[in-house]
Amino acid sequence: MAKFLVLARGTGQAYANRSPQEMQQVVQKYMAWTAGLRDAGRMIHSERLKADGRVVRGSAGKMTVTDGPFAESKEVIGGFWLLEASSYEEVQAFLKDHPHLEAGTLEVRQIWDM
Amino acid sequence: MEPAAPSDVDALVEHLFRHSAGQMVSRLARWLGSARLDLAEEAVQDALVRALQTWPFGGVPTEPGAWLFQVARHRALDLIRRDVALRGKLDLLESATPEAGVREQELGNDELAMMFMCCHPSLPHAGRIALTLKTVGGFGVAEIAAAFLAEPDAIAQRLVRAKRQIREQEIAIEIPRPDELGARLESVLDVLYLLFNEGYAAHGGENLVRADLCGEAIRLAAILARNPATDVPAVHSLLALMLLQASRLPARVDEAGDLLLLSEQDRARWDHGLIAEGMDHLECAASGSEVTPYHVEAAIAAAHAVARDEASTNWPWIVHLYDDLLALKPSPVVELNRAIALAMADGPAAGIAAIERIEADPALARYYLLPAALGGLWLKLGDPIRATYHYREALTRSCSAPERRFLEKQLAKSCRG
Repeated sequence: MAKFLVLARGTGQAYANRSPQEMQQVVQKYMAWTAGLRDAGRMIHSERLKADGRVVRGSAGKMTVTDGPFAESKEVIGGFWLLEASSYEEVQAFLKDHPHLEAGTLEVRQIWDM
Repeated sequence: MEPAAPSDVDALVEHLFRHSAGQMVSRLARWLGSARLDLAEEAVQDALVRALQTWPFGGVPTEPGAWLFQVARHRALDLIRRDVALRGKLDLLESATPEAGVREQELGNDELAMMFMCCHPSLPHAGRIALTLKTVGGFGVAEIAAAFLAEPDAIAQRLVRAKRQIREQEIAIEIPRPDELGARLESVLDVLYLLFNEGYAAHGGENLVRADLCGEAIRLAAILARNPATDVPAVHSLLALMLLQASRLPARVDEAGDLLLLSEQDRARWDHGLIAEGMDHLECAASGSEVTPYHVEAAIAAAHAVARDEASTNWPWIVHLYDDLLALKPSPVVELNRAIALAMADGPAAGIAAIERIEADPALARYYLLPAALGGLWLKLGDPIRATYHYREALTRSCSAPERRFLEKQLAKSCRG
């Protein structure tokens, strides 16, 4: 079994003008997806990332820190799930009906098992 | 922020966001003043977006309502800091807004005060309804539009106008003084009654938001009934009426979503919990000397609720109650309902004669129930040709999809003779 990181791009800001009821329905879809993965014993960890961040660069001992990264809101990584799967194909099967796809994109990366 | 509990699909109570939105907007706007209603709404919307952004990853907090409120409160303070005109009030607000642990009764007071603002008699009628649903009910503009078959832009305009009027007339978010409570309460009950009836007419139809209006009207009336300031007979009678009517909703449509007549309904499917609750409130309603139209309507609903079937229903008593109702609130629609009850008490011919007396009333000219009732009565009298004529007429008038299917079914029955 390998580990995969699923990065959620898009911050959910697209839902900002929806009604409370509709927003709750969106949250419930996510919860249902997460519960499905946890019940299957495949969920390892998940976190939400704050919108602001820092970019650190440096050369020859000189480090500069800037605010950022400022990507377009639909490109910003909003959070991630770390999960277990046998293959990319299986991860894709998990993501087939993922609610995040309604408002953003998902990037899947396999963890390199040393 | 408190640690998140493991997320669970069932962790969110139905309508949590909607109801919390109403509570939070009421609470924040009461602190900020009615002129800052928009700011309160913005803070609450932002809190809901934050939940949508974080809960999918971190799970639902152990106390979702308190979590939302805390975020909304912080957001409101942020927005105030940016507002030069409000900055002077900041200290006051920071000390006056408790972190969390809001007591149920306090929330009830906020929602109550907000209802009184939304239903203020100086606001236009349509504005009162839209504002109540938006601020106390937590409905979105598009949902309100769907519920009242209006354009979202028109609803948004109504809300803007009502809020402007609230600012200009400095209508406060407060529970009215005892000397003006009666008249102000009447206006609130009026709005709740209308919300319920809109929802009741739509129940079982494709328009689910409209059906939600019933539950919302009951929820708001229950807030009134619980609060010592508004725990008065008229409130209990309206709540009793709505609970008793709502008890029949589960039996009102069959599995295909088609409407069933009272005589066709499986009374075992009536919600007997709601009936018991309704009867309790009807008892509370009888405590004063005042008799409102809600009292009489609730008594009619109760007469149906206690009857085993249509045959054993006390129809002469119901006709008598309709007479009382007409004395209190003369209306052609009530006349029509009385005529239908009279047909049950004295036979279809008496009902037809009573309907024919009000047939020409312009208020009923587009009301599908009048020809529908005539169709039903002629069918009972064994005259399918006349019944067919009236059902055809009923189908030319506006009604919901389930009502239309019902009429078509009845029409087919009469055509078969």
